[in-house]
Amino acid sequence: MATALDTVKDYTEAEYKYGFVTPVEEERFPPGLDEEVVRRLSAKKGEPAWLTEWRLSALRRFFAMEMPTWQKVRFDPIDFQAISYYAAPRQKERPKSLDEIDPEIRRTYDKLGIPIREQEILAGVAVDYVFDSVSVATTFKRKLEELGVIFCSISEAVREHPELVRKYLGSVVPPGDNIFAALNSAVFSDGSFVYVPKGVRCPMELSTYFRINAAGTGQFERTLIIADEGSYVSYLEGCTAPMRDENQLHAAVVELVALDDAEIKYSTVQNWYPGDKEGRGGIYNFVTKRGLCRGKRSKISWTQVETGSAITWKYPSCILQGDDSVGEFYSVAVTNHRQQADTGTKMIHIGKRTRSRIVSKGISAGRSDNTYRGLVRILRSAEGARNYTQCDSMLIGEHCGAHTVPYIEIKNRTAKCEHEATTSKISEDQLFYCRQRGISEEDAVALIVNGFCREVMNELPMEFAVEAKKLLGISLEGSVG
Amino acid sequence: MSAGPAMVVSASRRRIDPDPSFTRAFAELAPRLPGSDRQEIAALRARSLARFTELGIPTQRDEAWKFTPVGRIVNRPHAADVPAEPPLERILPHLLGGPKARRLVFVNGRLVPQWSHVGGLPEGAAIESLTRALERRTEAVAARLARDDGRSFTALNAALAASGAWIELAPGVVLSDPVQLLFVTVPGASAPMSHPRVVLRLGSGAALTLLESHVGLEPGPALTNLVLEGELGEGASLAHDRLLLQADEAALIGKVELVLGARARYDQTTVALGGSLLRSESEVSIEGEGVECRLAGLAVPRAGEHVDTLVRVHHRAPASHSDQLFKSVVEERGHHAFAGKIFVHRGAQRTNAYQKNDNLLLAEDGEVDSKPELEIYADDVKCSHGATCGELDPSALFYLRARGIDATTARGLLIWAFASELLDRLGDRTARAAARRALAARLPTGALVDEHEDAA
Repeated sequence: MATALDTVKDYTEAEYKYGFVTPVEEERFPPGLDEEVVRRLSAKKGEPAWLTEWRLSALRRFFAMEMPTWQKVRFDPIDFQAISYYAAPRQKERPKSLDEIDPEIRRTYDKLGIPIREQEILAGVAVDYVFDSVSVATTFKRKLEELGVIFCSISEAVREHPELVRKYLGSVVPPGDNIFAALNSAVFSDGSFVYVPKGVRCPMELSTYFRINAAGTGQFERTLIIADEGSYVSYLEGCTAPMRDENQLHAAVVELVALDDAEIKYSTVQNWYPGDKEGRGGIYNFVTKRGLCRGKRSKISWTQVETGSAITWKYPSCILQGDDSVGEFYSVAVTNHRQQADTGTKMIHIGKRTRSRIVSKGISAGRSDNTYRGLVRILRSAEGARNYTQCDSMLIGEHCGAHTVPYIEIKNRTAKCEHEATTSKISEDQLFYCRQRGISEEDAVALIVNGFCREVMNELPMEFAVEAKKLLGISLEGSVG
Repeated sequence: MSAGPAMVVSASRRRIDPDPSFTRAFAELAPRLPGSDRQEIAALRARSLARFTELGIPTQRDEAWKFTPVGRIVNRPHAADVPAEPPLERILPHLLGGPKARRLVFVNGRLVPQWSHVGGLPEGAAIESLTRALERRTEAVAARLARDDGRSFTALNAALAASGAWIELAPGVVLSDPVQLLFVTVPGASAPMSHPRVVLRLGSGAALTLLESHVGLEPGPALTNLVLEGELGEGASLAHDRLLLQADEAALIGKVELVLGARARYDQTTVALGGSLLRSESEVSIEGEGVECRLAGLAVPRAGEHVDTLVRVHHRAPASHSDQLFKSVVEERGHHAFAGKIFVHRGAQRTNAYQKNDNLLLAEDGEVDSKPELEIYADDVKCSHGATCGELDPSALFYLRARGIDATTARGLLIWAFASELLDRLGDRTARAAARRALAARLPTGALVDEHEDAA
């Protein structure tokens, strides 16, 4: 197995391929956090008074909260005062077309292999780029406008659709939900806002590429997606971040609201800088994502492929409030070197005949720790609720860890709940079989791992699936063989 | 705000102060506790009580007690050493293991010598009550009591342990007849509490069948706080049948902690059929290769009963096998919580571990909580777990109904079929029969099913 070991080594020792810093002139606040900072931030963005107050009350909650200790990730205490809470690329006006975008930024995206043009023209994807904290380009806006779909940055939404923002902001993830949600509510800089009106099927995948760029800048994105009755929207979120030694905190909040018969599909490919082999640097990905199936027969589906970040700690969840609503969670989490991941989902069944499905695949390599933590809670009112959970872990090498921590709480006798989990290593037999047929070790491992994750990959939209498969391949190159 | 202090989680919400009656009982009882004439034992007990007071009663913010409000049931005035003399005929049905079984019988934490007998032991075997063990092997018992596992009920047990046993088999000693430890609770004017401590030491190749029964004769508040611990040497074998048949309002908190040597075999089956709170913790540490460890449990909580099963299996050595199967049938106002963990430590390659938790939730107001956990640090392993919860299968019910079986009987049969798999795991025939009787008494079709079983 010498070659296999070599491949494992190659993969595990592979350097982060997307590490580069774009020199862009920027405006930023000095590090520090207090009410004054929040006020200035809010003023800078020209926000109405209610939002400033909302931020301030979140900040007070944040100061009153303690860091939890139950999670299976370890990190040094975060000095929230050492973070700068606002950084914006200096631009006089929002660009009218892609040509007006700073060429440096354009080049960054080109390096990442996502030429805006190509996507715009060929893929038909409307992209709301977030470069650090302020949106720099929104495409396909007009086409969406014709249908009545609102897709803009959240600051813009605050200005132009205050009634919608005020109604739904914090309705799924209240500011006091957890310490990072409180922090985000206080200092969120920008993010995306989507509203799909009644009966509209959004004709294209909406997507945002996040990129953490300015050194020492935490990103506090806020995403709010509302699907009105009978509508459908698919949203893609993809991330890569430049190489950096300093740990960077990313505490985003994503809120989804689905009304009667609406469906939201939210897909994430996350490939932030994971830190070096010794675990120095890398992104802390502490995100609160939650969807509320408020309407009858509504559906929210989360799909995530997590390969990056030094620490991934998040639980995209569904609150199944409407009768017959459906929640889904498909996840692939790959950890390598000293990465840590504690991720999973929560499915809270409230409405009658609500259904949820959880498929989680964890792959750990190197000296990493990968935890699935999930909650399925079926309340007394959830007559005839149904849950199916499957979580499989694969271990590559003897120094990593794979953990499964499901919580199942059932208070209704008509509920049916199943949970299955397995842990194993990559099969020697399968490897041998592939090798025997002339497939290289590396390709064989990619093949097997992709097969292991197939159920999740199939849930990704086409363009994303290709990218994600490549990403898995790159992540596992040399690690598995 | 500096983040430093924010990281310190106040321990206060994870514990509550114990009821003063624990300290009072200790003050009263201390001079009479076994071993109190020995300075070091008396000091050890005082230290343990202080430790208990410091640790307090865990709240549901303590992850190990997440599903169980133990304070509400247990943190109340109890009296240690409440005398009771139940008539023999109430005890007889609970004497298990056949005519040749050896046994120790305790009532409210007091040894009853006339019902106990441990005679005719082969050379190299010792079965002693805790009192006797404290006289004969003070050092060894003290070392056991002094062990601090950070668990408040263990500390309380160390402070107040007056009953229990020391069971030791030298290498190669095989006891063919079972040993029964029978703990009887009879509430009186005040709520009695007892804190049995059992130490098991099986030398290499030794074998034992241990029947551990907890029986409540009358409804009423009572607390049994058991700690059973020990080691199985290389190739030793222990069949451990546990019947938890407490009466209404009574609580049992028990911890079993065993270390298994290479090629040891441990079979534990716990049947929980009665008591307001039955908390059963098992922590098994596999420290050699080729170990076979099977843990199983059945709980049928109803009418406000709460059964909480916590299992931890540590694989610290390669090539061992562990298997957990826990089932519950939850009836009206019953609550079953299961938290099981398979822990595969670094280097424990070729571990094969399995864990299954199946629950039947039959009542509107019942509750099932399940937390099957895996924590794995070795790659060449096969570990899996499964958990299910649901009602009786409607198609199976229909099948029986279509054949002219009435609804109650059909339900009874299906429940019986679901549960009896666990009863069959009990190693001892008499324990099996006793568990069947207790289960039948809980089913509406009890007698019917029981007859079937007897006929079979």
